[in-house]
Amino acid sequence: MPVVLQNIFRFILLVLFQVLVLNNIQFLGYINPYVYILFILALPVRTPRWLALLLAFGLGLTIDMFSNTMGMHAFAAVMVAFLRNGTIKLFIAIEEGNNPTPSFHSFGVSAYIKYIVLLVFIHHTTLFLLESLSFAHFWLTLAKIILSTGVTVLLIMGIQSLNKR
Amino acid sequence: MKNLINFLIQYSVVFLFLFLEIISVSMIVKNQQYQRSVFLSSSNSMVSEMYEWSNSVVEFFKLRAANDNLSEENTSLKNQIIKLQNQLSILTPQKKDSVHFRIPPEMEYQFIAAKVINSSTNKLQNYITLNKGEIDGIKPDMGVISDEGVVGIIKTVSKRFAVVIPILNPKIEINCKFKRSNYSGPLDWSGEDYRYANLKDIARHVELSLGDTLITSGFTSTFPEGIPVGNIEDFKIKESDAYYNIKVKLAVNFRTLSHVKVINYLNYKEQKDLEKASEEQ
Repeated sequence: MPVVLQNIFRFILLVLFQVLVLNNIQFLGYINPYVYILFILALPVRTPRWLALLLAFGLGLTIDMFSNTMGMHAFAAVMVAFLRNGTIKLFIAIEEGNNPTPSFHSFGVSAYIKYIVLLVFIHHTTLFLLESLSFAHFWLTLAKIILSTGVTVLLIMGIQSLNKR
Repeated sequence: MKNLINFLIQYSVVFLFLFLEIISVSMIVKNQQYQRSVFLSSSNSMVSEMYEWSNSVVEFFKLRAANDNLSEENTSLKNQIIKLQNQLSILTPQKKDSVHFRIPPEMEYQFIAAKVINSSTNKLQNYITLNKGEIDGIKPDMGVISDEGVVGIIKTVSKRFAVVIPILNPKIEINCKFKRSNYSGPLDWSGEDYRYANLKDIARHVELSLGDTLITSGFTSTFPEGIPVGNIEDFKIKESDAYYNIKVKLAVNFRTLSHVKVINYLNYKEQKDLEKASEEQ
């Protein structure tokens, strides 16, 4: 089962990268990219939805444990896992019987970028709104959402373009 | 019955989704109101140990700055010793047999040195994790300072680690006063910049000038009086306002924070018990 192994490996690498490197990057005080969400975005298209939800919950909880934000990442990650299938259907038609892993190659560049941008935006919006839990810091939160989404998308595209296939 | 089962199967994913989101929300809400559970926060020992390991790598690059700080502190302490010795030598012969010297009870403090192994400065609610815990004598509500000034207050403690709420978290307000004029007010953080905080409740008639030093007031048992908090960076007041809008540059640089001291106030229990007893009467 190389796909399962590959995903376990990706889970561990992304969590370590997020916790040890990215959480320490506090560029301009606004930008804190959350690249770990790539794990959910890169699950094979036909992954059972219940499995995707549970994996997202576990992933979010792991990140939460490291960043002292009980439940916030879990909430946002589960949200992304739930909306993932709909988003894929929105941008691309997958043939019956096919089970590709989302990437530039399998989706095509423009569909893949749309897919990444939309889901990362949803994730960051949920996360930062939960963090402020009010509209008191509305403009600050909005700036954080937009800037961090941009950086996360760039990082994800960078990581994905390193993939040979 | 068959329809019901079909319905449940068809929407099982939606139910799972709602179920997981409800768990998440309940965790967030719980965390807002009560003490965070030690298991799922970064005072959890597995998480902390990993942070400690990563910190041991990163710390290497901060050694130089830490060294500079320490030597600076050393010199100022030495200077203080000399000054105190001088004072002592002047005072001793005069009061040799009449003096009854005693430390004032509110000044009996002990410091516990600790190291920062995880911290954030760019969230709306920031936290710091320390590598000392219950077995080193740390308890919730103790104050935390660094060589530069006030850092925050201990929130939760596990056996070997502790989590601090720093000034950079709207959950705490630290009461401080001006060194020059003794007017006091609560300091809170706006959530934007880790270098600045806002001081409230300073009335219009108080005379201020840029650069005035703020120190802890000593009204709470968490911090002794006189620990630096910051300087006035800017202040404004509108015609209609009764209180100033003061921007304070914090004394501590939270981005480079590595060594801190936890304050153990030895008479904490006695003072609290007395205050509580008189409230109940």
